Amino acid sequence: MAIARKEVFHIARDPFTTALALGLPVLMVVVYGLAIDFNIKNIPLAVSDSDRTQASRRLVDTFVSSQYFLLRPAVSPAEAVEMVNAERAKACLIIPPRFEKDLMNGRSAEAQLLLDGADNSTVGPMGAYVGSIQTLASERIAGFDRPAPYELRTRFLFNPELNSRWFVIPGLAVVIMGILSIVLTSLTVAREWENGSMELLLSTPVEPLEIIVGKLAPYAVLGIVAQVFVFVIARTAFGVPFIGNLALLALGCVLCLATYLAQGILISVATRNQQVAMQFAMLTGMLPTNMLSGFIFPIASMPLLFRGLTAIFPARWFIVIARGTFLKGSGILDLSGPFLALALFCGGMILAATRRFKRDLEP
Amino acid sequence: MMTIPRGARTLVGFIKKELTQALRDRRMKFILFVTPVVQMTLFGVALNNEVENIRLAVFFDSKDTVLRDIYERALAGGWFIPARVSRNEDPFELIKAGKADAVLLPPPGGFTRAIGRRDAPLQLLVDATNVTQAQAVENYLKMIVQDTIRDDLKIAAADSPIRFDVRVLFNPSLESSIFMVPGVMCLLMVMTTMILTNVAIVREKEQGTFEMLISAPVSRSEVIYGKTVPYVVIGMTNLPLILAVAMGVFQVPMRGSFLVLVLATFAFVCTTVAIGTLISTYCDNHQQASMGGFLFMFPAMMFSGLMFPIENMPAAVRWMAHLDPLSHYLGLLRNIMLKGGDLRYVTNHVAILAVMAVVSVAASFKRFHTTLQ
Repeated sequence: MAIARKEVFHIARDPFTTALALGLPVLMVVVYGLAIDFNIKNIPLAVSDSDRTQASRRLVDTFVSSQYFLLRPAVSPAEAVEMVNAERAKACLIIPPRFEKDLMNGRSAEAQLLLDGADNSTVGPMGAYVGSIQTLASERIAGFDRPAPYELRTRFLFNPELNSRWFVIPGLAVVIMGILSIVLTSLTVAREWENGSMELLLSTPVEPLEIIVGKLAPYAVLGIVAQVFVFVIARTAFGVPFIGNLALLALGCVLCLATYLAQGILISVATRNQQVAMQFAMLTGMLPTNMLSGFIFPIASMPLLFRGLTAIFPARWFIVIARGTFLKGSGILDLSGPFLALALFCGGMILAATRRFKRDLEP
Repeated sequence: MMTIPRGARTLVGFIKKELTQALRDRRMKFILFVTPVVQMTLFGVALNNEVENIRLAVFFDSKDTVLRDIYERALAGGWFIPARVSRNEDPFELIKAGKADAVLLPPPGGFTRAIGRRDAPLQLLVDATNVTQAQAVENYLKMIVQDTIRDDLKIAAADSPIRFDVRVLFNPSLESSIFMVPGVMCLLMVMTTMILTNVAIVREKEQGTFEMLISAPVSRSEVIYGKTVPYVVIGMTNLPLILAVAMGVFQVPMRGSFLVLVLATFAFVCTTVAIGTLISTYCDNHQQASMGGFLFMFPAMMFSGLMFPIENMPAAVRWMAHLDPLSHYLGLLRNIMLKGGDLRYVTNHVAILAVMAVVSVAASFKRFHTTLQ
């Protein structure tokens, strides 16, 4: 208890760290909330219209009125491509001279659409819009309206407005916990080793377990505060629905946090040096949490080997739980797999940390 | 005989000491030179924005041949894999429980017969938690349904009179590694340089050796150069390493000039090292340094254009993307490596990075001097 109090003093005495620890989640939620939008708009489109007819102008209009594109006129196809090279356009529409004539003669009129393959963030969404623009243009310009004998009715479940923020924000808590718990705990404990004050602590009649719990408690609280904070912001500022069971989310959060704290201890015991501990915390904690957890990059798209590898990161399971409880209203049965995995890691990591800690105490 | 000025000699000695110190720890050496290569390989393979391995469930009976063909065609295309489901399961529950990502439901009596009546609603349920994936799934299935009906029933859904011939420039076969590798390179460069500089300075502060340095007969500029130049050197030696992985393992083309890339990287590394130094002047210990580092890294990553297109950001925050050195460096990497480097674009953005480098170095100098008073 006294150690926890000391650690709290330690954190509180240092207002800069406290400010950072509390400011970071705020900043991250706001930045993510503002910057994230997978749906494209305002994409600069270089247009070279060699036809210059009513039909070609209406085709260009169709692109512009979709709101996805901003018009950047070019005098020739070569200039349009040049604009992509110079990063002044992300796509070019090249209308050949015979466009309207082909359309009048009942042939299919073809225009070329070149997408900038150097920018991964726009190419996929743009490709997805092409089909709907093609249909729209056919209707508006050629009066094409032959109903197909079938109809595909799509229902987008759990996120009918296709709001990308709903996808990202529920998982954000795990990224913040990753920073606050893995990195900060590994550093605080590594510092005690580095200063030699850990030996001092151990020689006092305090149980090693008490030392660990004392050192961790304040960071656990910080992690929980961050999760609560993300929850509140997600619900109020970004309107993300929460239709699941709050207790389940809380349980997942606690399990994940405990695993992270144990991982922080393990790193600090193994390295005993702040600089190395920090690098290890980044490599084994931060990077996988960000990149290999499905937080942004979908796990299903990874090669088989990596899909297997992601299973060893607790963040991957917590994100399933967070999205499940926020958006899908999943129950304990639906989430039994992720919970089982998290519980296993949690137990395993705590065991590994305590064993390593005890072993290192032997002279 | 040429004599080396005393100041320069001190500086060289200082830089040597700093490099030796950074490289003395075997684990640090590993972290500095091996991990960038390993990470480059890992993330280059793993990160992918494409949509693959979507678990699709289709409920059809044996007489519904068209729907069966749709299902088979979908699986053959490589985007979908069969969801492991049994009949009579509620399709909504399937998706909720995460057993399937998409379910196709025929109208009562089967899709084939309904087409005969020319009124065939085919319902598609998609898990839209991942928005991009949901939209892609809808598009793929639309295409597959259209093609199957054309081939099976010879009723062309009437060719649309206007068509687009779509091509993807610079990456015609849509290799995901070519999309992602420049971004991963950019991330690795900022992580190795900024965080290491930051931590190196904070460590001296924490151990109290910094005061010693200041009281030693070296000038302040020597201290600051001595602490930063080694990390610029380390950052620059990382460039050929990760570039070799990019070109060797991932076959990412290098269409532009290597010299221009080195120049751009140098300006970028100077900027990140200077920012690391600047952050370190506000920090007294490792905890603060790591938090300060993240405080810069996260927004910088978000606004770089790696994950989300800059064009999409609201105008109120887009200026942050223009202030973000990562967005300029990533733009340069893509332009130089994939497009061969457009002279005006490259000069403009290298110039912007150079200005950022000068400003941040100047700011960290100023801050460094005032904190030492």
